[in-house]
Amino acid sequence: MASEALLAEYEARRAKALAGGGADKYARRSAKGILNARERIAKLVDTESFIESGLFGTSAVEPHLADETQTDGKIAGYAKIGGRDVAIVVNDFTVKGASTSYTNGRKVGHMKRTATERGMPLIALGESTGARLPDAMGGYGMGMLLGNDNTQFRRTRETPMVAAAFGPSFGSSTWMMCISDFAVMHKGATVAVSSPGLVSMALGEKVSADDLGGWRLHSDITGLVDQAVDTEEEVLEAIKKYLSYMPSHHNEAPPDAPIPAGSGADMDKVFGLLPEKRTQVYDMKRIIRCVVDKDTMFELKPRFGKSAVTTLARLGGKTVGIVANNPLHRGGALDADACRKIVDFLVMCDSFNVPIVLLVDTPGFQIGTEAEKAGAPGRIMNFMNAMTLLTVPHLSVIIRKSYGRAYVCMGGGRHSDDIAAWPSAEISFMSPEFATKIVHGVGYGEPGYEDALKKIEKGIDVWGLASVYAAQAVIHPKDTRDYLIRMLDVYKLRITKGVGQHLMRTWPTSY
Amino acid sequence: MARIEVKSEITGTVWQVKSKAGDTVESGDTLIVIESMKMEIPVITEDGGVVKEILVKEKDPVAEGQVVAVLEG
Repeated sequence: MASEALLAEYEARRAKALAGGGADKYARRSAKGILNARERIAKLVDTESFIESGLFGTSAVEPHLADETQTDGKIAGYAKIGGRDVAIVVNDFTVKGASTSYTNGRKVGHMKRTATERGMPLIALGESTGARLPDAMGGYGMGMLLGNDNTQFRRTRETPMVAAAFGPSFGSSTWMMCISDFAVMHKGATVAVSSPGLVSMALGEKVSADDLGGWRLHSDITGLVDQAVDTEEEVLEAIKKYLSYMPSHHNEAPPDAPIPAGSGADMDKVFGLLPEKRTQVYDMKRIIRCVVDKDTMFELKPRFGKSAVTTLARLGGKTVGIVANNPLHRGGALDADACRKIVDFLVMCDSFNVPIVLLVDTPGFQIGTEAEKAGAPGRIMNFMNAMTLLTVPHLSVIIRKSYGRAYVCMGGGRHSDDIAAWPSAEISFMSPEFATKIVHGVGYGEPGYEDALKKIEKGIDVWGLASVYAAQAVIHPKDTRDYLIRMLDVYKLRITKGVGQHLMRTWPTSY
Repeated sequence: MARIEVKSEITGTVWQVKSKAGDTVESGDTLIVIESMKMEIPVITEDGGVVKEILVKEKDPVAEGQVVAVLEG
């Protein structure tokens, strides 16, 4: 029977394609505790929800290598996570190191196009050697392979994009990390333009993969990675958790979730988290944990620009993005990195209709030669500009200090829909210790300093701001959670069903 | 065992040294307190480990980014 032969060939080809780079290669990875591409898919998506696109793709540049290029090294398709549709691209490192070539480039392009046009998140699990050689060599290779889809790296933020890096993640896997809304890294992965081998050949620089593109570099210094975690399973869990806060696309509000039992239970203790003296610091994250729905804090870039905290969370079951100063680091003074981190976060939240809550305790922007060398004024104005372009509801709560230009950036004046302040709030142009010198001409330790300081401090309490209606409310700290839940409801975007204007949708993905 | 350098985030003066060589520390622990901008700013380690060296003493000036302690972890 001809039909039986056809089906037999179909089954044989299918089995071969599913075997990727072959059972031996998969087994060697398993022995080292590294998940294979299809195992990653199984752990990421809802059971049996994956439907593949391009299972029978192979190298188009070297057709005689069809047997060695199953799926052409990148597995693509559609699946569901938490019952919601996603498009995924998962690199299969056993096939030519998941290097980029013609066929797999078409698969990635199709996934991105479908995700963007039909409104679902795109997830890319990276592990790659970069562009495939010799495919991309010479004018013929370049002309055929690179740059023929000008939407490949275009970000106009129609749908959330997520990228993960496992193992060596050079080339496309690194680019995907940089253009995604959420980038998570397995500790041990390398995110870099080029491999240590090529760096050594080209520059004579001997460098380890970790120093060139390891998780510490990207968590602490470049800020290109949102989270770095210990296990592959934690990477996949982080992706699922991130998406649980986000809408599927930019024209819907984020999904609601049940309010966990015990939420708000510690609100009567929250004022006690502030230290007695204004010269002492505390960890703002403890206040955030009290205020938001129990265990819903999902912090991004926790080791970068640490005087600011940027975290997704829920309040009353609704997704919010929290931007807070953290006095524990630099006393809460915002440096260039902290500004960059905040702007990244504001852009993401506004693009996906996530309301913003600002919790303020900052002595101002970081001053000094290091700050200026880092281009602080430019970063500050980017922050300022982003605040003026926010179209989602945004509320601020002044916990303690709010000074100078940082007062405005952190939501002062008309830069929030609504400003509430704790009785502990102090607001001025400059910290009183320094204002005393400028206004009264006496510095710290000089005769008359204490009296002059007292005069200056008199004007910095919350009541001036409340008197001129620059704070719309002064609230008891224990009421902060209830106040925010009520005000997020008051200021919700009724007319557009929770959808903002996305004025920052083309903002650079990293800068 | 990785050598971990702990840096001051801020320019200021050492006010208190709170740990010494040989101490076992955890992520989030304060090693040193810097006086800067009239505030007490802690130098906190992100990583746990054993303190190998404390490189400053009280009243020393420190610059932003200066390595003030070395851990092994």
